[in-house]
Amino acid sequence: MNLAWLGAGLAIGLGAIGPGIGIGILTGLSSEAMGRNPDASATIRTNMIIGAALAEGLGILSFVLGILLSGKV
Amino acid sequence: MPPYPDIPKQFALTGEPIWTFGQAGRDFEVLGIPVKFDISYTNAHFTMLLVTAILLVVILIATRVLSDRPSRLQNVVELLVEGLMDFVESIGGKPALKYFPLFGTLFLFLVFSNWLSIVPLVGQVQWLHAPTADYHTNFGLAVVAFLLYQVEGFRKHGPRYLTRWFNFSGFSQPGGLVMKAFLGVVFILVGLIELFSEIFRMLTLTLRLWGNVLGGEIMLVVMSALLVLPGLAEIFVGLEFFIGFVQGLIFALLVLIYFILAIESHEEHPEGEQHAETHVDLVHAQAA
Repeated sequence: MNLAWLGAGLAIGLGAIGPGIGIGILTGLSSEAMGRNPDASATIRTNMIIGAALAEGLGILSFVLGILLSGKV
Repeated sequence: MPPYPDIPKQFALTGEPIWTFGQAGRDFEVLGIPVKFDISYTNAHFTMLLVTAILLVVILIATRVLSDRPSRLQNVVELLVEGLMDFVESIGGKPALKYFPLFGTLFLFLVFSNWLSIVPLVGQVQWLHAPTADYHTNFGLAVVAFLLYQVEGFRKHGPRYLTRWFNFSGFSQPGGLVMKAFLGVVFILVGLIELFSEIFRMLTLTLRLWGNVLGGEIMLVVMSALLVLPGLAEIFVGLEFFIGFVQGLIFALLVLIYFILAIESHEEHPEGEQHAETHVDLVHAQAA
């Protein structure tokens, strides 16, 4: 049993929980804001994309750890 | 069943050297990431040269004859520059336009480097390796941006810039002796955590961009191997195109925001003038 592979799986598996929840909440709240105020749609959409990329960055950090661990065999 | 094409067992995490000038120290490893001290020209450098050459050629052709009735290419470049300037101004206001050249350079270079990772031969031929799929490029850019905004903070604030990290003002807050001691210790700890998170920004900037581009390359290879028929993976090419643009924008935007945060002052503003302004605006709106 190779612990590096187990670590890689756990890294990406547990690391995808946080950004998933975060981006879901973000999209929901910004959709509600766009529904209340359709004139500000462009600004809200820009902020949503920026927020999603920032939240996804943390998930990517754990993905990178998974890549490094799985390459170690 | 047609035979599946080969999924490479190991994707190239960094570029390979093309020719080496020599060693400058001893190699070591940090958490599995090799840190080498050989000075060499890698294929990531060569691809960076290509990106710079393409950008230079486009810009030189567009600005060769600047006229008041712009040609089509000049129109496109003007649209791009104006769009970016409006974006920077909407983020930081007029003082942020001082950092617009850095933002624009980072944005253009990173977006074109990311898009180059989708182009067919890059990553498979020995001589071409997408620059941002190599963490050395991203780390270099992040370290340079970090040093630049620290220098800018020191230039704006002088030595008082250090008080945002080594914050001894907790000891002079109003309250009893116990409250002063408690707040003093808490403020010092908060300052140290801020210092650590500022240093951590270099790492997150690097890894966010590197992870997105490398992950995109891996996803493209794996998806086009799983979807056996050619052309079905076009959707993933489109996704990679979008992600490349967004990640380049995010890197440049975060560097700009760090500059804005470094030059803003942490003292309390007197509230009187702001109330007066809004009052005047309301009066004008009622009169109109």
